[in-house]
Amino acid sequence: MPDSHTSLSPLKLIGLVVLFIALALLPFVWGNRFYISLITEIMIYGLLAMSLDVLLGYTGLLSFMHNAYLGIGAYVVGLFLIHVSPTSLWLACLVGVVFTGLVALPVGWIQVRTGGLAFALLTLAFGMMFYTIVWKWYGLTGGDDGLMGVPSPDIQLFGWSVGNTGNPAHMYLLTLFVVAIALILTRRIISSPFGAVLEAIRENEERAAFVGINVRRYKLFGWMLACVLAGTAGALYILCKGYIGPVTMSAFAGAGVLMMVLLGGLGTLWGPIVGAGIFIYIQDYISTMTEHWEIFLGIVVIFLVLFMPTGFVGLGNFFKRLRKD
Amino acid sequence: MSGIATAVDITLNSLVLGGVFLIVAVGLNIIYGLSRVMNLAHGSLYAIGAYTGYTIVSLGVNFFVALLLAPIIVGIIGLIIERIVIAPMRKRSMIYTLILTYGLMFFLDGLIKYVWGNEPRFVAIPAFMRETISIFGTHYPVFRLTTLVTTAAVMIGLMLFLNKTRIGMILKAASTIPEMVSCLGFNMNYIHIGAFILGCALAGVAGIVAGPLTTIDPLMGHEMLISSFVVIVIGGLGSLRGAVFAALLIGLVQTLAEFFITDLAMVIVYMMMAVILAFMPRGLFGEGKFE
Repeated sequence: MPDSHTSLSPLKLIGLVVLFIALALLPFVWGNRFYISLITEIMIYGLLAMSLDVLLGYTGLLSFMHNAYLGIGAYVVGLFLIHVSPTSLWLACLVGVVFTGLVALPVGWIQVRTGGLAFALLTLAFGMMFYTIVWKWYGLTGGDDGLMGVPSPDIQLFGWSVGNTGNPAHMYLLTLFVVAIALILTRRIISSPFGAVLEAIRENEERAAFVGINVRRYKLFGWMLACVLAGTAGALYILCKGYIGPVTMSAFAGAGVLMMVLLGGLGTLWGPIVGAGIFIYIQDYISTMTEHWEIFLGIVVIFLVLFMPTGFVGLGNFFKRLRKD
Repeated sequence: MSGIATAVDITLNSLVLGGVFLIVAVGLNIIYGLSRVMNLAHGSLYAIGAYTGYTIVSLGVNFFVALLLAPIIVGIIGLIIERIVIAPMRKRSMIYTLILTYGLMFFLDGLIKYVWGNEPRFVAIPAFMRETISIFGTHYPVFRLTTLVTTAAVMIGLMLFLNKTRIGMILKAASTIPEMVSCLGFNMNYIHIGAFILGCALAGVAGIVAGPLTTIDPLMGHEMLISSFVVIVIGGLGSLRGAVFAALLIGLVQTLAEFFITDLAMVIVYMMMAVILAFMPRGLFGEGKFE
């Protein structure tokens, strides 16, 4: 495992702070709205991929359709903004995230009874169930057309309006802050004894149970953490795009999230965010050149699994080891 | 239409649909049972079977010849896939193999769109198959009956192959105690290859017999993949008896959903799958095996 448990060296900490400030200043020096929105999308999917990493990289549980929980969060926030209150941003986000958690809890309760292949297939069953509901419940979700006309509320901080989610630069900054906080919190949680228990379950579930760990309960905690983070990503998604369709919740989109985690590297938390960047950029870049981007994506995935199972982050560590030898 | 005619219609339709599900699911089951590979690209191979059948028929070849050729071609594609990407994964963890076949699914879907395009296709079936015959007051299309007969024949042939021939019995033994079969001097490598080709060929058969039932489009494989997962999960992984029962059940549910347009039908099916996975992971008959 990469050094996720050791505390950061001061040099690295300064580097990260500088990176964060540079990213925060980006929209002020670079006016290209398209790229600012693209980076916002990358960060949102990065958050989703990171949440999947908590599940896959740390707990060893594979979810094919983690995007379902992004979808649930996004739909609930969107519906809240449309039907209840078009201006209360934080309340909408809170409702969205809490609702995602409430849906994920009973699902997780069933999920954690299984492991391995059964767990993976179960995520597919539940994901397809949510997808079908969203797709067919035309009256509520808009069915195939998706949820349209989501208002963009002002971003209020302590009673002050500091921006509007309809503005790409403001949305970018909001996303940057939320993702950074989520990354720090998740890293903190993962490097706590709780995270160590999750890794113990990944390495050997039986042995973990014999040590006296309540495996199911810890798996459920891991699952809830991953789903709540995905719901948060969903809230950002709907605010950024102002629209969501059932395609976002399809099995196909779920595969994309999995690819991001793999591209970046399992069990690193920040790796999947890099992976999301690579994935979305490739998708965006190749799809402008050819409509057959799936072929390339498939080849990339097969190549990654066969020759580079630790992703790009792993590649970095590989070179580091090479230099040491 | 009278009540009896509707009932006959629903019964036959669900048998036809269930038969197709069964063949795809059994193919998945055979590959999983012998190689412990859950092939997520199976639905795409099914779609390739349908498209290959379409192309062969549109070249002017008889439909029944295409019925023989398509599985062979899909089997060859299966052999190539096995050699290049599946074989190197033998010693790797299940999660990586799953993800690899997911990538393979993308690749094959992209390839289908590249070769045949996005627009739906229709198989030109022989004239006599386009007619209907009267069964208990309902006018039932002949091509659906052909599908039913073909799927039944394939299943019976498969059972005979597995239970009566030497190779079939080796395959069956290898799915229960691979170490023993290996100790008896049979090359497990060939068994893995054979299982994969057989599974792919079955997907190909299902594709071409299902072709006339639906429009052929690049997404047909995805729906089939999900449905066949439901079938093998409900029936129990590796259980033939369970697969037959579950396939007919899912066929019935989907037919009822088409007749009465109850969108909830599939949601109920997924819930059933979830409950069975969580509480009876060995399937309805308790015969399945999960690693």
